[in-house]
Amino acid sequence: MDEATVRGSAFVRLRGRALAWLSKPANLILLFFLIALVVLTLYPLYSLLMETVTIHAGREARAAKEAAGTLSFYHFRRLFATQENEYSRIQFYAPFLNTLTVSLAASLIAIAFGGAVAFMVTRTNLKYIKFISAVFTFPYIMPSWTLALFWENFFKNVNIGLKTSNGIMAGLFGIYMPEWFVYGAFPIALVLGLHYAPYAYILIGAMLRNMDANLEEAATILRTNRFRIVWCITLPIVKPAMMSTFLLVFASSMSAYSVPVFLGSPVRYYMLSTKMKALMDSYPGQAYIIAAVMILMGVIILLLNQRVTNSRKHFTTVTGKSSRISKINLGKANTPIAIALVIVLLLVAVLPLLTFALESVIIKAGDYSPGNMTLDFWIGTDLTERLDQGDSTGILLNPKVWKALGYSLSLSATCAFAAGTCGILTGYSVIKRRGSKLANLVSSLAFFPYLMPSLALGAIYLAMSAKIPWLRGFLLLALAGSVKYLPFASRSGVNAMLQLSNEIEEAAIITGVPWWKRMLKIIIPIQKPGFLSGYLVPLVSCMRELSLFVLLVPTSNTILTTMLMQYSEKGWAQFGNAINLLIIIVVLLVNFIVNKLTGASIDKGVGG
Amino acid sequence: MKKTLLLALILTLGMLLCAVPACADISADVEAGQAMTREELAEKAMAESGTFVVYGNTSRIATAAEDFAALYGISVESNNLKDQEIYTKLRSENGRGAADMVMIQDGAQLSDAIDEGLVLNFVPASVKDVLEESDRQPALVHQYLNKLFIYNNQGDSVPAIRNVWELTAPEMKGNVIFKNPETEKVNMNFLIMCTEPAWAEKLAEAYRDWKGTDIDLGSFENAGYKWVAEFLDNVTFGKSDTSIAEELSQKTAAGKIGLFVLSKLRSSSVLTENLTVAQYDASANGYAIEPFSGFMYPMYTMVNTKATRPYTAMLFIEYLMSQEGFAPWGKSIGSYSPNPAFTVNEGDLSIDVWKANLVMEDANYILDSFEVEDFILQHCQK
Repeated sequence: MDEATVRGSAFVRLRGRALAWLSKPANLILLFFLIALVVLTLYPLYSLLMETVTIHAGREARAAKEAAGTLSFYHFRRLFATQENEYSRIQFYAPFLNTLTVSLAASLIAIAFGGAVAFMVTRTNLKYIKFISAVFTFPYIMPSWTLALFWENFFKNVNIGLKTSNGIMAGLFGIYMPEWFVYGAFPIALVLGLHYAPYAYILIGAMLRNMDANLEEAATILRTNRFRIVWCITLPIVKPAMMSTFLLVFASSMSAYSVPVFLGSPVRYYMLSTKMKALMDSYPGQAYIIAAVMILMGVIILLLNQRVTNSRKHFTTVTGKSSRISKINLGKANTPIAIALVIVLLLVAVLPLLTFALESVIIKAGDYSPGNMTLDFWIGTDLTERLDQGDSTGILLNPKVWKALGYSLSLSATCAFAAGTCGILTGYSVIKRRGSKLANLVSSLAFFPYLMPSLALGAIYLAMSAKIPWLRGFLLLALAGSVKYLPFASRSGVNAMLQLSNEIEEAAIITGVPWWKRMLKIIIPIQKPGFLSGYLVPLVSCMRELSLFVLLVPTSNTILTTMLMQYSEKGWAQFGNAINLLIIIVVLLVNFIVNKLTGASIDKGVGG
Repeated sequence: MKKTLLLALILTLGMLLCAVPACADISADVEAGQAMTREELAEKAMAESGTFVVYGNTSRIATAAEDFAALYGISVESNNLKDQEIYTKLRSENGRGAADMVMIQDGAQLSDAIDEGLVLNFVPASVKDVLEESDRQPALVHQYLNKLFIYNNQGDSVPAIRNVWELTAPEMKGNVIFKNPETEKVNMNFLIMCTEPAWAEKLAEAYRDWKGTDIDLGSFENAGYKWVAEFLDNVTFGKSDTSIAEELSQKTAAGKIGLFVLSKLRSSSVLTENLTVAQYDASANGYAIEPFSGFMYPMYTMVNTKATRPYTAMLFIEYLMSQEGFAPWGKSIGSYSPNPAFTVNEGDLSIDVWKANLVMEDANYILDSFEVEDFILQHCQK
């Protein structure tokens, strides 16, 4: 054989192998997602890094004394190493420390509270489980600052903050809470911890519910006491779930923007997120550096996490057969614990809604007499005659509000569809090609947005959109939303696929059923609830998302949450409260309808 | 299959790299428009297509836009945004879906925006000879707004100040409410202006009047820096001017004083009877508040260089400068047209009184005052 023939046959062999490889749908899907995810996550990251070394037009160029577009490390020097007027300490180091403190505390609160409730619901004979379980996800469904607004309205008094008026606690009960309790690190961490406690509840709860009870039973037979069982068996088993809750809550708290605005600003307590937003308008280069720092922190936590759990595969997956778990009998403590829990949940999840309803009909703050009440903020007309609050009609008559609601709904539906579908496909292909390098790579890339705080991801897409003319408006928001929620959806997809035996699909392959038919007729129907959760979580999260979209919306009026934030910032309290209530009602309604129609529910979805 | 994938990849990358579509240059149109009557502008405006988009950082732009839309049958989308947000949008949107016209504050940032070619100045023929030169160039002033010292008049310790140094006294700690200058640039501009040599000199004199001794500057560069630092040390930051007005008007807010937009007093959510405007009291009783009773800043109207409806933008500006266009602002206190023919509201003071008693924004001083800005940020932190 001459050389050409050898080369020719090698080529034919290679071609044959490539074609055989590509003929498997799982491979094709993986290849597609590899390309798509590189474009959607790594390219934006590159844009972001470029923005940190680029001088932007406007005040920044003037301050740097360099032409716009110049590449320079000016922003780094300015943000990290400017001692005059303590600039670096004020703009970066102090907020950085505050962010670490708050995020850490919020994670611990979420794990302690959510985990404890999950334990009681799954492992004890606690009363009112149905109610507790249903209401516990409320704080997750509500926009995070809902609780912050409520906290301020409830506890503010004439001794702290603006020192101008009393909230419900001081006004009605004469109890004046100290400043640290109402403003600053403590309430920010607490509010975020309560908001994200459902993550812990869902992740840890799923682990507890499905864990193999044999170990505990063995321990019981050996007469190990209850406490020791929990400490030595249950806790280590739920450790991966606790770690993944930690990662999730830490990354989310880090990027929380509205909560620190409401509860931090009055006492001059700033976090990286608030500084980043403030810098974005005048000195974007420094704002992008903060975004990069946030992402770096996310990556560091993930690496730490991986060291602790050894492998990310253990994050949220649930394996092993479950048998009947013997539940702890709470005995006499049952009723008091259950009632205490119900009261806490009512305070955290239901009372805020009632106060929003009340505050949205009050004309002058603090006066709750019937004479001071009006439905103007809901259905009034010609309001500009007597109010300085922008809108001339109540929110239900305001086309702007309906337009924003429509936009929010279609955006959420689009993100849910895109993320959910991609989640199923990545889940399918990653499991089919489990262990291969490509599958690992795609799985990691799909997980990457999980580490990016929403505000930072928003900043990345903003940077990218400046370079791509057609990437704007709805498309930009939908793309950012889909990428952000892909990790949730792909986790759901992977988990659903893990539970599905390979033999089922193999049987169909043998009988010659084409791939799409296998997916539509066999795989998806069998694992419907699991997959549907991959759609529901993005849908609900997107409806109440602010941080991700706040930098990307064409105008504040585009979606309901940014509109609400604008109203809150302007101090148009009644309109704000009314819109807030509207958002919560719509989200609960969407959640309820999807749940009734399909059986999918939030608590099956978050993180798997 | 491979080829298809490769093609898709190339197409994607190609789309990523394609350039911003070129926009038509409208500067000649704006030049021509300055000589046109309203009717001529209207005729040209009617010939333009698409939705007319406006960004404004005054909430009442919505009313003006509605009235304008009704008058000419043009569909208008008005957006009420924060000042910095508008500048950011003008830059980042780069003509993609951006506003045709903006109504905006902060002369310093505007000066940069004009230099960068983001916006164009348009002076309607109808006001060319009516307005002062400084109200026409480099940017057309639609109105002046004032933020004033306004105090709660309830209780025994009414902070009826006569000298701004009183606000720096230890007993005023936590009793002064102001919006964070980091979140609204005009507030930052006011504080920067206090350090300007002329104002610093006035503040030094005011100090002498107050204490009877010359000011001891310590490490401060001038009296302005000292006042700003000590003022900020006593301040509590409110969320917005609206909420400051509402909160300050509560009976429980006795002893408190705020520095916020006068026009907020027209809202029915504010208990106006509990509030006193320091300058009103001073004017009524024949004394002056040393050396100022608040600050004043212009709101400008500009055409976006990337406007797709330039003539509609010009027509709207021409409309806004007229009596009827100014009506949404003119019918209540706190907004002042630079047009001397427009009278102020009953109960309000004339623009001349305000200009004599308030710190006016000077874009030229503010533009390069980066160190002052850092100094202020430092004192906003503590």
